[in-house]
Amino acid sequence: MDHFNRVRNILTEILDLDEQEISQDSYLVRDLDVESIDLLEVALALSTEFAIEVRDDEIFLRHLRTLIADAKAEGVDPVARIVETLPHIPEKRAKEMVADLGDGPVLKVRDLVDYVGHCCR
Amino acid sequence: MDRRVVITGSAFFSPLGNRGRSVIAAMEGNRTAFTRPGFDPDVVVAPVPDFNLKTYTGRYKNARYLNRGAAFGVAAALRAIKGAGLCPKMLENAGLFVGAGPNLDLGHGVNPGLSALWILKFLPNTPASAIADLAGIHGESTTLSTACATTVQVVGEAFQKVRQGGLDIALAGGGDSRINPGAALAYKMAGALCTQPGDPSQVHRPFDQARSGFVMGEGGGFVVLEALDHALKRGASILGEVAGFGASMDGGTMTAPDPSGQWMEKAVRKALTQAGIVPGDIDVVSAHGTGTPLNDQMEATLLGRLFPDRSPQIMALKSWIGHLSTACGVVELGLCLSLMANGFVPGVRNLETPCHPGLDFVREHRNSAFNTLLLQNFGFGGQNGALVVKKWTE
Repeated sequence: MDHFNRVRNILTEILDLDEQEISQDSYLVRDLDVESIDLLEVALALSTEFAIEVRDDEIFLRHLRTLIADAKAEGVDPVARIVETLPHIPEKRAKEMVADLGDGPVLKVRDLVDYVGHCCR
Repeated sequence: MDRRVVITGSAFFSPLGNRGRSVIAAMEGNRTAFTRPGFDPDVVVAPVPDFNLKTYTGRYKNARYLNRGAAFGVAAALRAIKGAGLCPKMLENAGLFVGAGPNLDLGHGVNPGLSALWILKFLPNTPASAIADLAGIHGESTTLSTACATTVQVVGEAFQKVRQGGLDIALAGGGDSRINPGAALAYKMAGALCTQPGDPSQVHRPFDQARSGFVMGEGGGFVVLEALDHALKRGASILGEVAGFGASMDGGTMTAPDPSGQWMEKAVRKALTQAGIVPGDIDVVSAHGTGTPLNDQMEATLLGRLFPDRSPQIMALKSWIGHLSTACGVVELGLCLSLMANGFVPGVRNLETPCHPGLDFVREHRNSAFNTLLLQNFGFGGQNGALVVKKWTE
């Protein structure tokens, strides 16, 4: 089973959702109503499923806004700073995040899949 | 002036069925749910068949934090609310009184890795949190844990609050399950379980001289208590009236009841006094009747003293559904409401040689209308609680 399917299985279980409701592009908070306690469960389940050490701050992009604000203050390209600090995020996705920030939390299912893929590399 | 308090909603899950009708039908057919569990053939248990929390909650991701007992309580609360026809505004201001026991279901060794917040399965107020979330309750809430007297006290505390005018509506109840290896071990070591060999439906015999212990059951229940004026104003259907409540402590040993029953009597007399009645007014007693040698002897002594001249009809519902531990009080109450509505008094199962000669232990089912009920439960720790419930009349 590919990484996306394994991540989706975990999310369906924890969030009590059907598979069809979860895609790579689902936003965790905006679409799936994920709360902070759910993220605790997701982190634990991913670390068990993939035998990886999950760093909550990185996988859930906890410092993304600060990261971008600091980069701007320092005159550094925010996209470059994201890719440098969070190596599992592809440049294209980092650009989307910067553009999307105003509409709410940007974390998507694909970001979890990318994180897992990066850790398993 | 104190207000009259009525019951306008009731729901339960029991090993013999989830509605009064189905439990009475099982009693009439002499069917029980007693069986020997795979994890320990020495003991007898009474499980609730086919329970699925999500039938009542719909999708509910926090179900993972409810132990089996808590899930019974949550589901019963939702059913009772629905049955009572409470609107969101009423629920917003309702009080929530919940009973919970220790969750002894440690599975096969403690494995904290199962869930990040597995502690929620062990915190007693998790069901209250779930019910408030699912039903939109924002009034006050208290979770009590007083062993087997828990839910009779939960109902009693809620009753006092409504009676005194602090709340118009209060939900009261809880759920419990001890049908797991951890609980079986604990109660077996305490010597409280019925471990007689033989047909599991024949070995449990409350108030019989040959009784030897209790049967672990499971389930849950909730009632909606409401100030009479409030209930009448909204045209609620009234299932019964709670007239009095009393509680007390033995202040003695941690497990064995005071053999004289003097402190249990104090709780019962407080309930009678609050209800404005004397012992002779009681038609039916729903006894704690666990089937343990010590409880039943004490309880028979107490009842003999309370009713020296004429004994009311005494039933032992645990002989049908087992001992639901902290949930026994509210489930027995819910069942009593149905028995009262149907004028049916079930016999005490397997009672051949009663442990007290002067008491009217019901041996065979009786079709007998009754109006005034005494419900009593006594718990480890010397916790005693008693309720007086009346059939509703204007």
